[in-house]
Amino acid sequence: MQWDYLAIVALSSLTSASVLIIATLGLAVIFGLMGVINLAHGEFIMFGAYGALIATRAGMPLVVAIVFAALVTGLFGAVVERLVIRYLYGRLLDTLLATWGLSLALYQTAVLIFGSTTPGVGMPIVSVAIGRYSISAYFLFLIAAALVMLAATYLILTRTSYGIMARASIQDRDTAAAVGIETGRINTITFAFGTGLAGLAGGLLVPAFPATPGMGIAFVAKAFLAVVVAGPVTLTGAAVAAGTLGWAASATASYLSTVMGDIIFFVATILLLRAFPNGISDRWRLKL
Amino acid sequence: MTVLLWARRQLASLCVAAGVLVALPAFSADDTIKIGSLHDLTGGLNIYGIQQAQGLKLGVADINGKGGVLGKQIEVVEYDTQSDLPKYTQYANTLLLKDKAVAVFGGLTSASREAVRPMMHRAKVPYFYSSLYEGGVCDRYNFIAGASASQQLGVLLDWAAENYGKKFYIMAPDYNFGTISATWIHKYAKEMGGEVVGEDFLPLSASDFSPTIRKIQQSQPDVVVALPVGASQTGFLEQFAAAGLKDKIGIVSTNYGSGNQQVVVSPDAGEGIIASQEYFHWIDEPKNEEFKKTWQAAYGDKEPIISEAADAWNAVHLWAMAVEKAGTTDAEAVIDALESGLSFEGPNGTVAYQPGSHHLKQNIYIVRGNREHGFDVVQVFKAVAPTYEDEVCDLTKDKTVSKQFVPE
Repeated sequence: MQWDYLAIVALSSLTSASVLIIATLGLAVIFGLMGVINLAHGEFIMFGAYGALIATRAGMPLVVAIVFAALVTGLFGAVVERLVIRYLYGRLLDTLLATWGLSLALYQTAVLIFGSTTPGVGMPIVSVAIGRYSISAYFLFLIAAALVMLAATYLILTRTSYGIMARASIQDRDTAAAVGIETGRINTITFAFGTGLAGLAGGLLVPAFPATPGMGIAFVAKAFLAVVVAGPVTLTGAAVAAGTLGWAASATASYLSTVMGDIIFFVATILLLRAFPNGISDRWRLKL
Repeated sequence: MTVLLWARRQLASLCVAAGVLVALPAFSADDTIKIGSLHDLTGGLNIYGIQQAQGLKLGVADINGKGGVLGKQIEVVEYDTQSDLPKYTQYANTLLLKDKAVAVFGGLTSASREAVRPMMHRAKVPYFYSSLYEGGVCDRYNFIAGASASQQLGVLLDWAAENYGKKFYIMAPDYNFGTISATWIHKYAKEMGGEVVGEDFLPLSASDFSPTIRKIQQSQPDVVVALPVGASQTGFLEQFAAAGLKDKIGIVSTNYGSGNQQVVVSPDAGEGIIASQEYFHWIDEPKNEEFKKTWQAAYGDKEPIISEAADAWNAVHLWAMAVEKAGTTDAEAVIDALESGLSFEGPNGTVAYQPGSHHLKQNIYIVRGNREHGFDVVQVFKAVAPTYEDEVCDLTKDKTVSKQFVPE
């Protein structure tokens, strides 16, 4: 076992884990934290991806385009919250239906506007040599991006006054309102924050994963599983769950085949849920 | 009491009226000929399905404009199978039982074809499959309009060996098209003294190709034979290029471009990828310009025309020719007519049904991806016969066989 072989396996598994973390973070906020089953999560990622695509074609550099994508998706999420979600808090099955309908509508709108094939952004052809192997520099950037996103979300939700108000509104809406927090507005902002994270994910991933109307489907199932496995300590739990499951699946895929990697992902999910019915973070004494 | 009596009488007359209305169509003459269309208009496979359906409808419009078939207009009954396999069997049943289609055109993945083919065989309805595939199907009621692996891969791998080297790595989707194509690649590699140094089969939904790329780097091939199917697998080409592998390792494919993947892939990643198929938008054939004009008048010129669309056009024209020759839409007569050596001038030159195998003898083109999201034609192989299918399948002698042959 030479060092470069171990290094490349570790790095490419870390990349897969990071991709999953980036895609899951928005859902962790909306489903894990707020309890809203957002089946349109994949379509919000797609929204961000197309947003970044349009921005780069309009001449913006990639980094600006990604930020633009996140903001635009967040704005759209705020609109969705105002029009649809706010009437359905606490009504799980109804939010399921509503967001499912939204996902279908968004998907078909994308097909109508963009068609089934659109010129993509393309990854920068910069690679880093690791001994005899090489890995795309953009994937290393994604690893860093995942860590930054996690840290930023944690800090926003725990260290800012908005974060405290957001968590209070979710935990006990009536008491929060009694204390003087505008729960309606805060919930809109939190939902927008979650969809903004999804849009950011779309923008970050679009160079590597071609923008197609159905691109969200590849991420949605695994994101939901990661959030369910995560448990009550949503953010840290989701990071650990997505990270571990993504890493394990990728390492298996490296040695066996990608199909085995997928199988291991789902088998691991089943085993973890069997061992920790309320999620892996059930007994953790962390804040978020 | 009188109210009830009144209501009952109204109900009775309503029933009579309804009965008459339902029976009316049976009295009126059936002046259209119904054919069925089963294509993926939504879902990850719609990068193929939308144009397949469009190619079929354009062909039908062309035939109807010239007077239709047997003096009647052709009507296309279209169903969207949504890239979802169970929908294929469901809508195939609908076409056979409710719409009573006299011919069915459809299917993209080999899985969908194999789901529908036995149903068409049992119902004795001609079924046309308009897509390239892994080859070997032998069924009286199935006519293939796309190229088979023996037509594409042999030619492509010879070219790859000459230009890149004889060590191959296979990246294929994990279902019958991918696995059987891989069997072919093993066979051809061995015949030419080459070697398959590794292979990876990926689910259609796979989007993260880091493990595959790492394995490719480890096995150090001269060329990767990539067979990406669907929108998600197109990401492989982008990620492969971004890992800096394109300078050392070539990429050849039998289905890159068949779903306009070169439009999605960036110029850096798409440049230099070699593909082989039975039709490309950029080929120089007598009827291609006219075909492109007709297409663009109907559907605009937003995207290039893919091989499956031309296959669908060819398929419906050949079917119409057979119906005219047979003088009836009766399945057996039409099939006998199709087996009598019919040929048609399509946008990709002359295509002719081999009587025994129900496959087309047609041109195969080798193209190279360029920086304008398109292809440049590199080499043309004229009138390539489906040698494997002609060898293992002779439906003029054995009319009952219904299977797919796979090389050992």
